[in-house]
This record gives sequence, C-alpha cells and structure tokens, in this order.
Amino acid sequence: MHATICDLITDLVQNSIEAQATEISLNVEETKTNLNIAIVDNGKGMSASTLKKAKDPFWSDGIKHKHRKVGLGLPFLFQTAEMTGGNVAIESEEGNGTTATITFDPAHVDLPVFGNFTTAAVTLMTYGFDGNLEIRHCLDEKEYSIEKQELIEILGDLNDLESLILLKEYISSNEEELRKT
Amino acid sequence: MAKMTLEELRNLRDAKKKEMTQRDGNEKSAQIIIGMGTCGIAAGAKGAFDAFLDELDSRNVTDTKITQTGCMGLCFSEPTVEVDVPGMPRVIYGNVDAKVARRIVTEHIIGKALVSDHIFDKPAADIIK
Repeated sequence: MHATICDLITDLVQNSIEAQATEISLNVEETKTNLNIAIVDNGKGMSASTLKKAKDPFWSDGIKHKHRKVGLGLPFLFQTAEMTGGNVAIESEEGNGTTATITFDPAHVDLPVFGNFTTAAVTLMTYGFDGNLEIRHCLDEKEYSIEKQELIEILGDLNDLESLILLKEYISSNEEELRKT
Repeated sequence: MAKMTLEELRNLRDAKKKEMTQRDGNEKSAQIIIGMGTCGIAAGAKGAFDAFLDELDSRNVTDTKITQTGCMGLCFSEPTVEVDVPGMPRVIYGNVDAKVARRIVTEHIIGKALVSDHIFDKPAADIIK
C-alpha cells in the first residue's frame, strides 16, 4: 500500500485526471472517529466489468503502456481498506464519470499516517490538465476549500515557480489554521 | 503564519509580478517534469517536488516551470524527473530523492552541468510515440 493517506489520495485523483475528467472534486473530512474521502469526477468512467478487473493488481488496460501487466492504484486502495476495516464504494458509469467514497478508521493501528496534505494539494492543483479541480478539507468543525480555476485567475500559470511558491504558502496557511487548536 | 485570504494571495502575486517585469524576461525558462504515477508517488516523488521548490526558491531561481506527468515507464528508477534547460540536452534523471533534487538545481539548472550519476536518458520505448 502507499506510505501515506495523502499519497493514496494523489494517486486516486490522478486516475480522474487520466480518465479525461474536466470537473473533479476531492472532499476530505477528518473527525476523531472517521476519515472520509470522496472523489467525484466526470471522466470517461468504467463499465462494471472494467471496474471489477481494475481491482486486480495484475490487470492494466494496456492503453498507456502496451506491455504492462500490472496496475496498482486501485488495488492499493482496496488493500488499505481491507487491512484496516475501512470501506470503499466506487460507482462508475461509462461516459459519465466515477465517484469513489472511502471511509477509514483513523484509530486503526495499520492505517498509514495521514501525510502532508499541503504537498498533495499543490501537486494535484498543478498537475497538467485543463479542467477544474475543487479540493475541500475539513477537520472536525473547521474547513477550507480551494478551486483550480479561481487560483489560475489569481496566480496565472500555476506551473511557474513564483505561482507554485505562493500556492504552497496559501495552502499551507489554510492547513495550519485547520490544525490550530 | 496566519491564514492567508484569496485577496492577500492576489496582492502578493501582483507584487511579485512587478518584481518580475523589472527583470529581463526574454530568456526561455527551464522546465522540470516530475513523474507522479503510482510508482513515482510510492517512491517519494512528492519529497523531490518539495525539495525542488525549496531549493529553487532559496537560490532565487525564477524562470523555471515545474510540471508533472504520469509514469514514464521507468518504474524501477522512480522518482524520475525530466529536466530541460535551454541550450542543454534534455535528460531524464532516475532515483531522484530530495538530496538529488537539490543537486539537480545547483549543478544542472544553475551550474549548467549534468548530474551524470543519475542520468536515465529517455522514457521507456513503449511510451514514446
């Protein structure tokens, strides 16, 4: 499995990007008893049989890498859920997008550490795709959200070093506020 | 740091823009492309990403773009990073942890010399179109 929950989240949102989604929303809610993650995209979606195969680590659609026989993104998610008593629901429809709803038990001893959300959010916001990405992060009663198109409007090209540094400062200040007791 | 508002972010951006237009903006910028597939993420590409950002910022390098891509087909040498500096050969570096990322900034991007012990040439044959 991935070393941190944030690595897992990055990987899953990237699936949405690679599924040619133009609207993606990532919602992460942390409470004392639950860690809820929801990823909704309007990408190309999967048929029921593809989704079933995607859970197999020794299956890949072979489109991007012709000779590849493994695909570990979704299997990592199911492995993590299985090992920690978590719950994963993926609903997908070909041509209409995919919704992944994940619940983990933050107290489970085998659950990977949460990881660095700031870096995860910065990398996802600046991953090259033309659509919009909305990220919402809640911790108990507090929350903040950011939207890719709004950030582009303010910062210009997000991949410029200057924009990246400001974006990181911005997200990190929001994260600090969230963690402040 | 106190929580930054969108308005403050906009003001900071405007201040930086002014600073930038005072510099000579004709030079083509360097580009860093970080592989962020499942393999890259698992091998610590985000650590490399943070190190690039931090090292470039602390050395006041400005005319650089950092983008990301999926797996480059070199999963055994992740994290992989492609570096394109104008006037230099385009290279792919493998096993780029935070330390190597900082070396790429100082030796390749600033010093204009390749970091020879991490060069992996080009993406795997099956993904070059």
